[in-house]
Amino acid sequence: MPNDWKSYKPLLLPAIKDLHEISVYEKNNGYQALRKILKDRAMWSPQNVINEVKTANIRGRGGAGFNAGLKWSFMPEPDGKPRYLACNGDESEPGTFKDRKIFEFNPHLFIEGAIIAAYAMQIDVIYVYIRGEYRPFVKMLQRAIDQAYEKGYLGKKVLGSDFSVEMYTHMGAGAYICGEESSLMESLEGKRGYPRVKPPFPAQRGLWGRPTTINNIETLANVPLVMDKGADWYLKIGPDTHPGPVLYGISGHLKRPGVYEYPAGMNIMTLINEVAGGIREGKKLKALIPGGSSTPPLRADMLEGVSMDANSLRDAGSMMGTAGMVVLDEDTDMVDLIWRISYFYDHESCGQCTPCRDGTGWLEKTLRKIKNGDGELRDLDLLLAICHRMEGRTICALADAAAWPVRYSIDRFRDEFERKCKKTVYAVA
Amino acid sequence: MSGTKTFDEKDLAEIEKLTKKYPEKQAAVLPVLWYAQDKFGHVDPSVQKLVAETMDLPEAHVYGVVTFYTQFYEKPMGKHVLDVCTCLSCQVCGGYDILNYLEDKLGIMAGETTPDGEFSIQSVECLGACGYAPMLQVTNDKYVNYLTYEKIDKLIDDLKSGKQPGFESNKMPQHENGTE
Amino acid sequence: MPEIFIDHKRYEFEQPGKVLQFMLDNGMDLPFFCYHPSLSIPANCRQCIVKAGMPVFDRDRGTFKLDEKGERIIRFFPKLMTACSLDLADGMVVYTHHTDELVKQAQADNLEFILINHPLDCPICDQAGECPLQILTYKYGPEGSRFEHKKVHKPKAIQLGPRVILDAERCINCTRCVRFTDEISKTHQLTIISRGDKNYPMTANDQVFDDPYSLNTVDICPVGALTSADFRFKARVWEMNQTPGIDISNGKGCSTWVWTRDNLVMRITPRFNEAVNDHWMPDSGRLSYRTFNENRISKPWLRPDNKEQVRTTWNNAELTLREELDKVESSQILVIGSPHASVEDNYTFKKYFESLGVTDFYYLPHVVPGAGDDLLLSDDQAPNTLGVRALGYSEIAGDKLPKIVTSAKPKLVFILDDDILDRSDLTSSHLEDAFTVYWGTNHNGTSLAANLVIPITTAVEHAASYINVDGRIQRTVPAKETLYTNRRLNLEMSMGRLDHYGTKFDNWVTDANRIDCIPAWEFITRLNPGSDTFAWESSRQILAEIGGKLNIFRGVTYEQMDEENGIQLNLEQDSEVNTV
Repeated sequence: MPNDWKSYKPLLLPAIKDLHEISVYEKNNGYQALRKILKDRAMWSPQNVINEVKTANIRGRGGAGFNAGLKWSFMPEPDGKPRYLACNGDESEPGTFKDRKIFEFNPHLFIEGAIIAAYAMQIDVIYVYIRGEYRPFVKMLQRAIDQAYEKGYLGKKVLGSDFSVEMYTHMGAGAYICGEESSLMESLEGKRGYPRVKPPFPAQRGLWGRPTTINNIETLANVPLVMDKGADWYLKIGPDTHPGPVLYGISGHLKRPGVYEYPAGMNIMTLINEVAGGIREGKKLKALIPGGSSTPPLRADMLEGVSMDANSLRDAGSMMGTAGMVVLDEDTDMVDLIWRISYFYDHESCGQCTPCRDGTGWLEKTLRKIKNGDGELRDLDLLLAICHRMEGRTICALADAAAWPVRYSIDRFRDEFERKCKKTVYAVA
Repeated sequence: MSGTKTFDEKDLAEIEKLTKKYPEKQAAVLPVLWYAQDKFGHVDPSVQKLVAETMDLPEAHVYGVVTFYTQFYEKPMGKHVLDVCTCLSCQVCGGYDILNYLEDKLGIMAGETTPDGEFSIQSVECLGACGYAPMLQVTNDKYVNYLTYEKIDKLIDDLKSGKQPGFESNKMPQHENGTE
Repeated sequence: MPEIFIDHKRYEFEQPGKVLQFMLDNGMDLPFFCYHPSLSIPANCRQCIVKAGMPVFDRDRGTFKLDEKGERIIRFFPKLMTACSLDLADGMVVYTHHTDELVKQAQADNLEFILINHPLDCPICDQAGECPLQILTYKYGPEGSRFEHKKVHKPKAIQLGPRVILDAERCINCTRCVRFTDEISKTHQLTIISRGDKNYPMTANDQVFDDPYSLNTVDICPVGALTSADFRFKARVWEMNQTPGIDISNGKGCSTWVWTRDNLVMRITPRFNEAVNDHWMPDSGRLSYRTFNENRISKPWLRPDNKEQVRTTWNNAELTLREELDKVESSQILVIGSPHASVEDNYTFKKYFESLGVTDFYYLPHVVPGAGDDLLLSDDQAPNTLGVRALGYSEIAGDKLPKIVTSAKPKLVFILDDDILDRSDLTSSHLEDAFTVYWGTNHNGTSLAANLVIPITTAVEHAASYINVDGRIQRTVPAKETLYTNRRLNLEMSMGRLDHYGTKFDNWVTDANRIDCIPAWEFITRLNPGSDTFAWESSRQILAEIGGKLNIFRGVTYEQMDEENGIQLNLEQDSEVNTV
């Protein structure tokens, strides 16, 4: 990791006053990428836009880290019937609070990215699914969308071209699972948010049975950067395998928690100690959850030299997720913490698949038992067994997300779990 | 709210507008339920029935949807609903202390409403304000961040006197030293 | 032809389809709960999990890549797959619990998960004995449970509607019931509410689950969460015997199972018949089972000198009938057949009176306009309207019947199993001057007005055929004994556990449930001793006779009906022959 992060100037959320106003955004090079594409259609055919984005290797910022351009290329040839782009602003993974910054500070960057995405995939309707709790932010985005309509960036014949696109906001109403892409589609269709069985994948059968692509808000906000300055420029930011700027949502026991924008691949200890001001009250670091509640927690001693990119974190035994880092100090009760995470997944399991519906509850109950001091050592092995039986057996990944933190924290903080368990097991006659 | 609940002309026009955003009317269930909850303060069975009839959808479908999403109130709630986040970052930063303080202060437990119908408290899952923990949300709208007991006292006084909290903008720390 | 390898065995398939259905069609076993062949596939129970993979294709050579042993290299899907949602693909390799330890373990794990919040109250559960969860747990489940916490509690014994009761704790959230009301009956009355392990099916708040097909959800419920309000706690599945039948309460003639215990019909459930009713049947047809048990005419009844009806002997009934026949000319006899009676009964009835010189035969159709729907209910309330018409009976409207009676002034009226006084403008005063003979199964207004009542068998006591509204002929099999039939002697009758092992001295067996009645044709045989024309020994023989005379019935046999679940008749030939 180069040490030039201190001189890094944010690209997604630059420090420009009132950037959320379209006039300010336009003055600062806003909507230029879109104009450039629509001006030279021969140069920037939809296919060429997809190729450029694919080359830039924008890895999905919603958690899976999949190349966005590659995802776009899965869309079938247009057949004259509707196709959809669904923008995922559900942002419900505990520890994650970055997309709301885009809605508040730079909504037009995202809107421009979504319009370019729609152009590239020849999509005519964009839905922006935002979690219901973000109501104030939905209003902000809606205001920005209205401005974009007024200026002709959205609606019929964008900037006088033959490309037309509509953009609507859609507010969720309190369901973590709706951040899962197929569940998001069900919710958009006005149903209970049950994830769909895949295949068929959204690009084949998505919203209302039509080809659909789902992208994270931050992912789309990267698109205008790529189209404006080129994939080659973009690839130079951050590590080779995980290029581009990343919004790090840093929370927990820190002096200066918040959302920071730096290139991907920032050294974790740098982020904690220098960027976020170090641990509060002079305490020591105990553990880190690197990318939202579902990513396996890492012990402080495992963080040496680890950086925030997919490969480095994988090697360290965790995942990049949403880059929502939760920093935990030495006083943190890991059993309590993991119980609360289990409680979250139990509460948010949609209840469709058996292993998740009943497994999340079982994990929560067993962890509560241990937390309350009634646990027995064998419960730890039972927890591991339950995790093992939940993983990979369900329609969506919620069961895996619920199992990983439990499995890995028992693995990495076993002492602490054992200390909470009763030592003697009395035989029952 | 007395008598049978209805949507007036203006409501119906608004619902029509919401429905037009989608190729199928069913998709507008969530927006219409939000609209109804804003109007009536909740979506209890009678409101669910009204929504189902207005949208020409099965009542059971609307019921299933309402019970899936936690932000819909299935029964009348207090005038102010205080959703205290106790999840992950908020948990480790004292979310439960805030919740307990509120419970003691208002004399009710999470999930309950004060007898005067002014306040309801709920312990909720991550609200996406992890860097500003502990925090709470007031009646599905504004966030109140960096909670302390003093801040809670003030919030309750404000709400009692009819003053809603304003939008708290959490600046990026990077911007603070930058050229804003 | 495309091929698939399941547990190392090669199968060929022609049609695209899913692996689970293909396995079931080929007689292989795989546990599942949520899958139903007639409903959409949510793959939510995760029970039919298998290991599956595809051979690696070498694009350059255009062949499958082979390993050093010369066998195809298989790339397995990273996760176990649910067979119900897995498309058959050429070259696919599937391993089930028979050949793969992980799959076997995964199936047991899944059952352990399902059972942690299930009350395990089989001893008091109605579903016990026919419960997929119970059966599959015995076959594939874990030995015990490691769950040591309080189970999730949910509402119990909720009357969802007039006919269906919910025990939400037993529910395993397969959503079959919700899918049924969404996709088949389309009343959309059910939904899953709440989330996670707290969810269960429910109706909207004050809505009553009065779907006319609501009891189908009880059939397809793979646990005891939905039970029939009517059948609940009445009988154990293993005490009953199960006989194929058809629904005679409606013109559609759904294929049914008739469940009997000690010669009482306990319930009726649908039997799969692709050509008629798929897996379903209307609630009304199921609840019609009571007519086979209650208010039955047992022993002949006679009204001496126009006084009260009294029970009489078969001999006396026979003598009385002969006496009355001797008194009248054939022109003074009025014969009314019945769309509610079988082809065989109507045929023999007509043949007998034709032999006496009667020429006009009528029947009163039983159509209630608007009673039907697009699914399995017809406006026609009778099971054999097309049958009685095909046999040459003339349709007569209910308001025309009094005129026929007043103009013909019959001295002797024969009515076959049909409550015509209830459904027409005819009243008992119209029949005052005539001697009325009613051949019927149940007491009703018409039987009470009759001078002589001959008790005949119902569809669950005889083998007989009926033609449904779509022209399909189907037949019944005797399910309960009359006073004159015997399960052990009649090879057609099924034998349940009780029938096999119960004796006359077992306290749950009572002769009172055996009705003193005989098939209509048998009474006609009795009336004509020694006659070759009426010397039938079985309804099978009668159908063969009809087939020889009427083109419509040519070649129709019980064997073929049994094999093909009924036969579609060509009723265009209807007009061809009208007299027997």
